[in-house]
Amino acid sequence: MKTFLLRLREANKISFFSLWLLIFLYAMAFLADFIAPYPYDLQNRDYALCPPTVPRMISGGRISRPFVYGIKIINPAFKQYAPDTLATHDIEFFRKGPERKILGLFRSSTYLFGAGSGKIFLFGTDLHGRDVFSRILHGARVSLSIGVIGVSISFVLGLLVGGISGYFGGRTDTILMRLVEIIMMFPFFYLMLALRAAFPPNLSSVQVYLLIVVILSLIGWASLARIIRGMVLSIKEEEYVLAARSLGLSSYRIITRHILPSTLSYTTTALTLSVPGYILGESALSLLGLGIQEPHASWGNMLSVTIGNLRILTGAPWMLIPGFFIFLTVISFNFLGDGIRKVADPRNW
Amino acid sequence: MEKTLEISNLEVSARDGKKSFAILRGINLCAEPNQAVALVGESGSGKTMTAMSVMRLLPRNLAVDRGRILLRGEDILAMSESQMRHIRGKVASMIFQEPSSYLNPLFTVGSQVMEAVKNGEERFEKTMKMFEDVELERNVYFQYPHQLSGGMQQRVMIAMAMINNPALLIADEPTTALDVTTANGIVLLLRKMMDKYGLSVLFITHDMSLAASFAEKIGVMYAGRLVEFSDAAGIFKSPLHPYTEKLIDCLPERYAPGSRIRTVEGSVPDFRQLPGGCPFHLRCPYKITLCTQRKPGPTLIGTTTVRCFKYGDDGQDS
Amino acid sequence: MKKYILKRLLQFIPLLLGMTFISFMIIQMAPGDYFTQLSMNPEISPLTIESMRRDFGLDKPAVIQYLYWLKNLARLNLGQSFSYHVPVSFLIGQKLRNTLSLSIFSIFLTWAAAIPLGIFSAVKDGRWQDRTLSLLAYIGISIPSFLTAMLLVFFAARTGAFPVGGTISVFNISATGWEKFADYMKHLLLPGLALALSGIGSLFRLMKNNFLEALGSPYITTARAKGLGEARIYFRHALRNAVNPMITIFGYTLSSVLSGAALVEIVTNWPGMGRLILDAVLSQDLYLVMASLLIGGALLILGNLAADIMIAAADPRVRLR
Repeated sequence: MKTFLLRLREANKISFFSLWLLIFLYAMAFLADFIAPYPYDLQNRDYALCPPTVPRMISGGRISRPFVYGIKIINPAFKQYAPDTLATHDIEFFRKGPERKILGLFRSSTYLFGAGSGKIFLFGTDLHGRDVFSRILHGARVSLSIGVIGVSISFVLGLLVGGISGYFGGRTDTILMRLVEIIMMFPFFYLMLALRAAFPPNLSSVQVYLLIVVILSLIGWASLARIIRGMVLSIKEEEYVLAARSLGLSSYRIITRHILPSTLSYTTTALTLSVPGYILGESALSLLGLGIQEPHASWGNMLSVTIGNLRILTGAPWMLIPGFFIFLTVISFNFLGDGIRKVADPRNW
Repeated sequence: MEKTLEISNLEVSARDGKKSFAILRGINLCAEPNQAVALVGESGSGKTMTAMSVMRLLPRNLAVDRGRILLRGEDILAMSESQMRHIRGKVASMIFQEPSSYLNPLFTVGSQVMEAVKNGEERFEKTMKMFEDVELERNVYFQYPHQLSGGMQQRVMIAMAMINNPALLIADEPTTALDVTTANGIVLLLRKMMDKYGLSVLFITHDMSLAASFAEKIGVMYAGRLVEFSDAAGIFKSPLHPYTEKLIDCLPERYAPGSRIRTVEGSVPDFRQLPGGCPFHLRCPYKITLCTQRKPGPTLIGTTTVRCFKYGDDGQDS
Repeated sequence: MKKYILKRLLQFIPLLLGMTFISFMIIQMAPGDYFTQLSMNPEISPLTIESMRRDFGLDKPAVIQYLYWLKNLARLNLGQSFSYHVPVSFLIGQKLRNTLSLSIFSIFLTWAAAIPLGIFSAVKDGRWQDRTLSLLAYIGISIPSFLTAMLLVFFAARTGAFPVGGTISVFNISATGWEKFADYMKHLLLPGLALALSGIGSLFRLMKNNFLEALGSPYITTARAKGLGEARIYFRHALRNAVNPMITIFGYTLSSVLSGAALVEIVTNWPGMGRLILDAVLSQDLYLVMASLLIGGALLILGNLAADIMIAAADPRVRLR
């Protein structure tokens, strides 16, 4: 593992950086309760669509400890706000606030940061006055975990089907690959929506989360199965498998001990590169109101208010920030996958 | 009479990052009009790179450092790329080992031959005449490379190379990928072309006896150096360089029936780590201390040039 | 050639059957007895229900229903929309035109940009121009098309550079045919651009790699040895060989084009299949969902067939197989 990281750093600096960025994003998601200054569903009715609060460090021409200005409500009907330069609030770290559960396990009243008696909306607020920054942190839990879980399930399915198909060949192979072909012949988005239609529209958030994972995996296994089948076919003829067979090892043993390990490096690349697809799938479903439901946050459903609402889009462009996080995650996975491909390819050693 | 090809002191190096490796060193050879010169050696000895230098088609990471290449008296290394375009195909042309991959799979072979002819001339008629010369049927013109056999593909390559009536044809192992009878046909065709058009041929092969039967002159290459350049007739009778001697000794037709196959022990050294001194000293039975210290320069014995301390040490070499 | 196309056509038939079967099974997964549900819905006339029951065997077991559905498909009867109270085929026909024009327009934009850029990048391989383009391609690949669409809508709304939403402007009723077309194209620009920007990146990378590979091939050495000029070597010998594999993958890229188109349509309010299928899903209009799914699949099959024909036309090795 260590040598792998070293090689990754050497082969591709940007991939290495992406790896750290992803670790950072996942850590943020994990610690969302602690980092977020507000609960994801706390509505500040007086501060709807409030622009981002800018943390400042210069007061009266001198560097001071970080602070924010208070927010002056100019016109509540038209959602006009201005910084109140007379009211400054120091940014406090590890400060006390209302008690809440962290990771659903233990209670704590310590927050990473906050702005004294003032408000701090780093990425502004949404239509209900909820802090976008806090919601992004909580939404990250959904958006980031769904990719990994979805890929894992698809991978198991793909490994099973692709492995069986490639190893046994013949009629089994033909039937399974036809099925794969049929699934891949549907436009991804249409199939996703149709599968969603097969389930009741009103489900609890946990149910929806599980449902999305299932839907995405049901679609995603096909391409992985095809990749794995190809790998198995090429490796099957290799000498060490023939040797194992001539020794009288069982099919199961040959598959698990000999074929699968050698496909590992290739599949790692394929898996890393397919994570973005799941993240995008979740975003798309939630964006359209078919995924994670309000008041729960996901990067996709946070974007949904901007659809067909030019007033919000142009008046509150910070509502697009979740989209930037989707982009950041996707590009990091793409860079990482490419880096792994370079490092895992024996021709580059 | 002016020589068709004259290479003197050619040096080519490869760059790999900041490092540089010698690929060809001190190549001296020439071909008279209507003469066939063979270059013989194991793979990796630099035969193809010598040929590519003449075409000025060296891979990107290779470059000529020093030396002169004259084609009909003109120094091609001094030419611009656009001047070279009037040399390639017109003064010197080339055919390759695997015609199947050297023909573009998407175009009819006829159009690929014809495209080498300048506009305005009677291109189609000229192409048809060439097809006749290389003994291909007229309807082959409309066929695609994958529809032809290896021998026919090589004939197409020859037609393509000969269509502008060049002075020199470089044939880089033209028969290696073909079976024996087809290969003989190609060799005969090359001879016919020489007779008909007064062509010179630089024939690259690893087959010593094929070289001797086809060419008038033979150059033996080893690790990027021309170790012996001699008349084909003489080289079999009295090979001078120890490597040539070994090569001839290994020919199957020289064995007594039932004896063991002989090989030159060891292998061609890697270009990246050539030994000091004479590059052949690792495999040479006549090795003396001097061989490990310095590279032998060329020595002229009769009409043969040889690089070996056995025959004295005329020229200095780095 | 004809035989080849016929063979490909025949190969698509089991695929199509499989697709319809899977579509049908997905719909059958929907919870509850759907026939009773319909009868209890006061918005749907008893007449519609009666005709649906007759045509689609709604009270029969699933497999029989599937056979009914297939029989109707052969007669191009895709059933009734529950929420619009019109035949599904009527609804789809309208939207399909818009989706097709959006997809084709964006495919055209994608190829028109990706191929020259790919060649340029291959020729400048490793230099700053190539590295800049490759980085941009990475960004293009990673930015979801719906986000591109949102950003473009944001930009359009701020600057008024393009119209947002719909296919025609309001004043348009009295316009001439040509003006109507120009107006339609103007509305198409924003969704088309959003969709194309996401596709250019991956196609560009493919084109660059193919072109580099073609440039390194032996037949390029032959072309140089013949004394051909650079332009002829690039644009006759290398280009044709580099584009061929791209035609092969054209069928595969269609899937992402259609999926992307649906999302972009919804975000930019372009009235196509995307909006239709979304509304159908939201209102549980099952026959409409299924027909949309089927049409999407059929479009992909047609696209693949078109790619097969194009590749056969472009590559003699395929043609004569």
